[in-house]
Amino acid sequence: MRYLLLLFTFLFTGCFKEPLYHSQSYVFGTLVDISIYGETDERARFLANNILADFQNLHKQLHAWKPVSGNKLSELGELNAAISAGNQSVKVSPALANMLLDATDLSLKSNGLFNPAIGHLISTWGFQRDEFSAVNVDETAIKNLLHAQPRMTDLVIKANAIYSTNPTVKVDLGGYAKGYALDIAASYLRKEQAKNALINIGGNVIALGKHGDKPWRVGIQHPRAPTAIATLDLADGWAIGTSGDYQRYFMLNGQRYCHIIDPRTGYPAQQTQSVTVLVPPQAGNKTQAGVLSDVVSKPIFIETAANRNTAAQAFGIENFMVIDAQAAIFVSAKMVNKLHWVDASVKFSTLP
Amino acid sequence: MLVLNFLRYPKQLINELLIGDWLIIILSLVGIFYLFQSLWTNEHATKVQISVGNEIYATYSLNQQREIHLHGKLGDAVISISQGKARFSQSPCNTQYCVHQGWLSHAGQVAICLPNQISLELLAERKLYDSLSY
Repeated sequence: MRYLLLLFTFLFTGCFKEPLYHSQSYVFGTLVDISIYGETDERARFLANNILADFQNLHKQLHAWKPVSGNKLSELGELNAAISAGNQSVKVSPALANMLLDATDLSLKSNGLFNPAIGHLISTWGFQRDEFSAVNVDETAIKNLLHAQPRMTDLVIKANAIYSTNPTVKVDLGGYAKGYALDIAASYLRKEQAKNALINIGGNVIALGKHGDKPWRVGIQHPRAPTAIATLDLADGWAIGTSGDYQRYFMLNGQRYCHIIDPRTGYPAQQTQSVTVLVPPQAGNKTQAGVLSDVVSKPIFIETAANRNTAAQAFGIENFMVIDAQAAIFVSAKMVNKLHWVDASVKFSTLP
Repeated sequence: MLVLNFLRYPKQLINELLIGDWLIIILSLVGIFYLFQSLWTNEHATKVQISVGNEIYATYSLNQQREIHLHGKLGDAVISISQGKARFSQSPCNTQYCVHQGWLSHAGQVAICLPNQISLELLAERKLYDSLSY
């Protein structure tokens, strides 16, 4: 009888489906993956669809190189067009003005290594396209753009009206928008009192609550193999972001050219394979965790080995991992205990 | 018979074992340990989940030989399944990153073709993680 009872308990627990809703969609030209735990299927689908609609709108507002409907440019596209025509100031939405102010602030903190004003350099390298192929490197164009020094501080932003003192500025929020969208989604879910969710936009991930009685667990992509290199638990409100040379790149004469451009040289950064940053929840009046998870990986990626720590500290980031061009792995002291290596025999160095 | 004898007179039997017997016992233990490691703990995938656009298209067992023809955003793609592995074998995209990923065999491995909006994910009984930062 005892065994029969035991058997039934097993059978019945097997019947209860885990209350986990999961959806995958393509927005932002990338894969958006939403998991919601502990809500009914119906409500979870409603929440996920609203998040996706928000993302779609953001994409239309911020798309850097394509007309978003018919031949109408995005709001950011209109601003860029006005800047290069040298026109007078353009009225933008308060949301876009705030994003640009925040991005300027972050650009200053990064010593200009995070520089969303170099849209023209990015398109010279052919990365403002849905698909990219090897381009003929136009050294003159690169030299001219470097000389013109487009910077976020060239933008004059007053009462939602914007003009640029430098017509070579072209704002590309490619290293900001996905993180911003994560923050929007997290605050929407909190407002709706959905407590447990994991949102992944093109590899940038933010966690709310837990996956049942366990924390959400996230894998970190191996830069040269189709597998995770390590996993870690992402606690409530934490975000993680990875920048790699393996998602958007082309090969030319045996050399890899990735989409992360060093604003100091005008050339793709070449001493790094990937950088992962792990960001704790931030105070309400500060730049939020999602944006930081998107932005901070770039300066660390571009910086020389000696200056990576400084680049992270400028944003108060203590948890990060770097895999350099020689495939050597460096992990910050705080991050070491959080990682579970997929291959336990992996060799890495701990940063002081 | 051997087992029964072992239970009755354990000491006697152990003394009677020859070097060959010991070798067989040790090799079997090593073999069992190896199989346990590779089949159990290494999270070998058992299924592949294919998504097209926003929908999960289907989930297939990896324990078969099969080609699946799919229609993505750009055009027709072919996914092959063979002996516990799966891969993109043809894709209409320009970059061919998905095809170059080659065979996937471990749980949690993914191949995503962004231009054609088709993705593969290998599944096991237990997932290694909830989502991937890439």
